[in-house]
Amino acid sequence: MSLSKAIKLIAVGQSSGLKALLGTFEFIGGVSELIAASCRRLLTRPFYPQLVAEQCYSLGVKSLSIAFITALSTGAVMSLQFGYGLERFGGKPYVPRVVGLSIFRELGPVLTCLMISGRVGSGIAAEIASMKVTQQIDAIRALGTDPIRKLVIPRVLALIIMTPLITGMADLFGVLGGMAISATELNIHPDFYLNEGLFALRSSDFTVGIAKTFFFAIIIGFTGCYYGLKTEGGTQGVGQATTHAVVTGSILITIFDFVLTKFFWIFESGLEL
Amino acid sequence: MEEIIKIERVKKRFGDKVVHREINLTVHKGEVLTLMGGSGTGKSVLLRSLIGLDRPDGGSIFFHDDDILKFDEDDLLPIRKRIAYVFQYGALFDSFTVFENLAYPLREHTNMGEAAIRKKVLATLERVGLRGNENLFPSEMSGGMQRRVGVARSIVMDPEVILYDEPTSGLDPFNTRQIVLMIEQLKSQGTTSILVTHDMPTIFRVSDRIAFLREGRIDTLGTRKEIQQSEDPDLVGFINGEKM
Repeated sequence: MSLSKAIKLIAVGQSSGLKALLGTFEFIGGVSELIAASCRRLLTRPFYPQLVAEQCYSLGVKSLSIAFITALSTGAVMSLQFGYGLERFGGKPYVPRVVGLSIFRELGPVLTCLMISGRVGSGIAAEIASMKVTQQIDAIRALGTDPIRKLVIPRVLALIIMTPLITGMADLFGVLGGMAISATELNIHPDFYLNEGLFALRSSDFTVGIAKTFFFAIIIGFTGCYYGLKTEGGTQGVGQATTHAVVTGSILITIFDFVLTKFFWIFESGLEL
Repeated sequence: MEEIIKIERVKKRFGDKVVHREINLTVHKGEVLTLMGGSGTGKSVLLRSLIGLDRPDGGSIFFHDDDILKFDEDDLLPIRKRIAYVFQYGALFDSFTVFENLAYPLREHTNMGEAAIRKKVLATLERVGLRGNENLFPSEMSGGMQRRVGVARSIVMDPEVILYDEPTSGLDPFNTRQIVLMIEQLKSQGTTSILVTHDMPTIFRVSDRIAFLREGRIDTLGTRKEIQQSEDPDLVGFINGEKM
């Protein structure tokens, strides 16, 4: 490779790195602005409870099936993996507790929210982006109404209401999936499984997982709305907004999962002291 | 004549491209004023600025005595009930029926009951010749019908001013005539209209005054007759389709 070609490649690499960095700052600034604008509007009329209810159905109720299937199979796979894995060390009786803890604290909230991000985050971004490129957002403004009140707030509130509920139910499906496989493959009695994997857990194991989903709901909602509202161009812009919403939403969920997990452990340790 | 909109020293640029160097223009109550000019001269940008959909970089836009460029988004909402905007392709809400599209501003801004809203919507559809289509979705209608529903949605609140962005572009003669008749009817009722269009027959039929934008300024402003009799080679060339 010639020196000039190498310099050119480095320059291209640096410029795309710089572009990505600028894009990150633009995203942080834009989403912060959107969150601030939404919070201000939450304090003043008009409110649209009917739109929130519609979104609870469209974003929440319609996401139940994918959340339940994901949770059921996750519980089943975890039981199988831990069952065969721990059997070698005589640890099979611990399977219900390990699976229960993993589902309630970590896998239930994270996998459910990743699935919701894929289904709902992309849907929000695509819908709002389509409205943007067909001037429907401008029409909302031109008709004397506010797109943040009409589109953003109902979707984010619906997600904040529905995501913890879906996660709570998905957690139970996860436990049931694990119980079914433990009973059929590992010869663990369902009563023992439920006692160890559900009733023996602390309430904080459940609440910490659910608490995380409030933050994940905010991430999914605002990320989808932000990319939808900033869409430019035609159908290509809609596609890009959808992709960005899902990728960014999923990455943020995994990053915030670590931060929140650490925070809640510190918080719980503080309470125990 | 009473001034309803006054544009003073409005400037706008997108990056390096200067769209408006300095726009000064007064619109009188009840008149039909047409903005014409080549592509990229900022006619639509100026129109959008009049209700705050775009923000100029400098200058003032007075609606009656209020400088709307000093207003934030919330302050602009009441102004937008009084100035309606007809989008180039209708910009109808595609998840709503025609009826719901027209009922939207009435439900948002009035205390009318559903029966009164229905009556008003059907009467407005009658005015644009679309009565009987209220249950259709925009995707089930032709482009011309969508455009007329867009006009109907804009006039359903009886605004003081209507801004039309290319209302007849790409339309067949029948739909063009329907929209022209609507503009004339609204003019006879005292509604002020500002048009952006390249459709010369429409311009010379409905306009009281015509403003010709060139190089970021209002190059020529005059009555229909003054514009038709102008000897400015750029203006004559533009009207005859010989120059951009």
